[in-house]
Amino acid sequence: MSAAIGRQNQSTGSGGGGSSAASLAASVLKVRAADHLLAAVPTLWLTLFFLAPLAVTVVYSFGRSTFGGVTLGFSLDNYRTALSGFYGATLLRTVLFAVAASVLCIVTAYPVAYFLARRTKKRRTLAIGLILVPYFSSFLIRVMALHMLLSRGGFVEAALNSLALHSGPLDILDSQTAVFIGIVYAYLPITIVPLFVVLERIPPPLLEASRDLGASRLGTFLHVTLPLSRPGLATAALLTAVPMLGEMVIPKLLGGSRGVLMGQALSAQYLQSQNYPLGSAMAVLILIIIAAIVTALARLTKGFAEVGT
Amino acid sequence: MSRARGFRRTVAERCTDWGLSGWFVLAVAFLYGPIIAAIVYAFNLGVVNKQTAVITGWTVQWFAAAWNDLSLRRAVEASLVVSFWAALISVLIGSALGYAMVRHPTLWVRRGLSGLTYTLLIVPETVIGVSLLLTFAVTGVPLSTASLIAGITPMAIAVVALIVRARVLTLDRRVEEAAADLGSSRFNTIRFIILPQILPAVVAGGVMAYTFSFDNLVVSAFLTTPQINTLPVYLYGSLQYGPSPAVYAAAAVVFVATLAMVGLAALVFRLARRPPVAFPSEET
Repeated sequence: MSAAIGRQNQSTGSGGGGSSAASLAASVLKVRAADHLLAAVPTLWLTLFFLAPLAVTVVYSFGRSTFGGVTLGFSLDNYRTALSGFYGATLLRTVLFAVAASVLCIVTAYPVAYFLARRTKKRRTLAIGLILVPYFSSFLIRVMALHMLLSRGGFVEAALNSLALHSGPLDILDSQTAVFIGIVYAYLPITIVPLFVVLERIPPPLLEASRDLGASRLGTFLHVTLPLSRPGLATAALLTAVPMLGEMVIPKLLGGSRGVLMGQALSAQYLQSQNYPLGSAMAVLILIIIAAIVTALARLTKGFAEVGT
Repeated sequence: MSRARGFRRTVAERCTDWGLSGWFVLAVAFLYGPIIAAIVYAFNLGVVNKQTAVITGWTVQWFAAAWNDLSLRRAVEASLVVSFWAALISVLIGSALGYAMVRHPTLWVRRGLSGLTYTLLIVPETVIGVSLLLTFAVTGVPLSTASLIAGITPMAIAVVALIVRARVLTLDRRVEEAAADLGSSRFNTIRFIILPQILPAVVAGGVMAYTFSFDNLVVSAFLTTPQINTLPVYLYGSLQYGPSPAVYAAAAVVFVATLAMVGLAALVFRLARRPPVAFPSEET
């Protein structure tokens, strides 16, 4: 704000110095009108189609479902239902699932990102493009194809049989394992990118210094590279664990009835049971868990604030 | 002695390098395997008009079948229309947001806008979808093409905003100050100084927004009706009843078209000599 006024002062000053305070005020207003418009339009749109709906969900989560309608009020019954019995178990399973799948994604992605970060610049760009193309291609089509590959008589069965790792028909679909494979598959590209970005930024002289001072390769990795890649690890965890909490397509297509996660249970409240208050409570619970994860990850990157541009 | 140590070190190093290369190749194979399979299955004959996991023969008949499938065609048309408008709105609003996030004169406004953008990225689509459905139901807004378009814009706006933001961060502020000193109004500075500089990011953001909107399934699944059905929702629905082979043919075509779009976006970025898409990766 003070910068804008200062700039304006300069410009009116160089304009001859004869301008009055009124025209200065007017031009300051004009300066800010364009900036305010650029900030106000997105805020308004996103309030209408993002924040307000979330607020409605929060309000409804305290309401009560009655015959053919909803009575608003303040009741915690929905939360009680959502946290107990089948729904409670599903919520717990979803959280454990998201954490496990996120860790698996990161463990798979880290060596790839490490490998990419040490290539020459030209090859690096090409390789990261190669990794990202699947991410930008249709998500549904990829899951569909994975379904085909994993089904009985599919390529994976044939491959495993020919490698003698498995014999007979493959019964992997409609299980937690299939959902796990599908989720790692879908989120792998988006896990690699943030890890690659931090690893690429570690200056090579730092690693050479560590080696010169007598650290082994493994020691250098454990004490220099790994701690410095913390922001990337946090971002990767955020980009995987958070959407997994709401994931409903992969469990439905690959997990069948045995892989029900929170996202599905939640959408069923809206599309089948029409129990909006219960569904809203589930949605709010997911948001609360996400807020907790974000807070925990922010702690992990403490001291890295300067990394953000 | 030191030579021996050096030798051993290189052996260990080589093993690690081989391991890393191997892992990278495996990861790429894992990522591309299903995509290649999807395209291969589009040419699979199947058994009695059903797609099968076993390759039973080669044909291109499914492409014709997909072309002649009226409901599939209507879904594609709806998708094209919906994603066009969603991308247009997202480009306008997302560019404004990306710019204001960096250059709005007031700190708390910049912080608030960044916070809003990152919130958009971390709220699961399922939650956004049900909240919109609930809100439309409560306020009595009937589900239509317009409400569907409005519903899928928030996520696309966030994508555009982050791409544009990355570009605005690289701009030299002094150029804008010089323009202001020379008497240019703020509006003219934005129109003639800033817009030309961020145009590649705006175009790339637009293509990404289009791709994201075209591909949107979760939010769309809640906001579509039997009358307004987009392609991903149609494919998702048909998968639950056992996929028709035509679905795979349509999917293969969509996949190739998406690739072409993303390639175009990358080309625009490259022509502008900027590194590719910036991700919100540095700041958690």
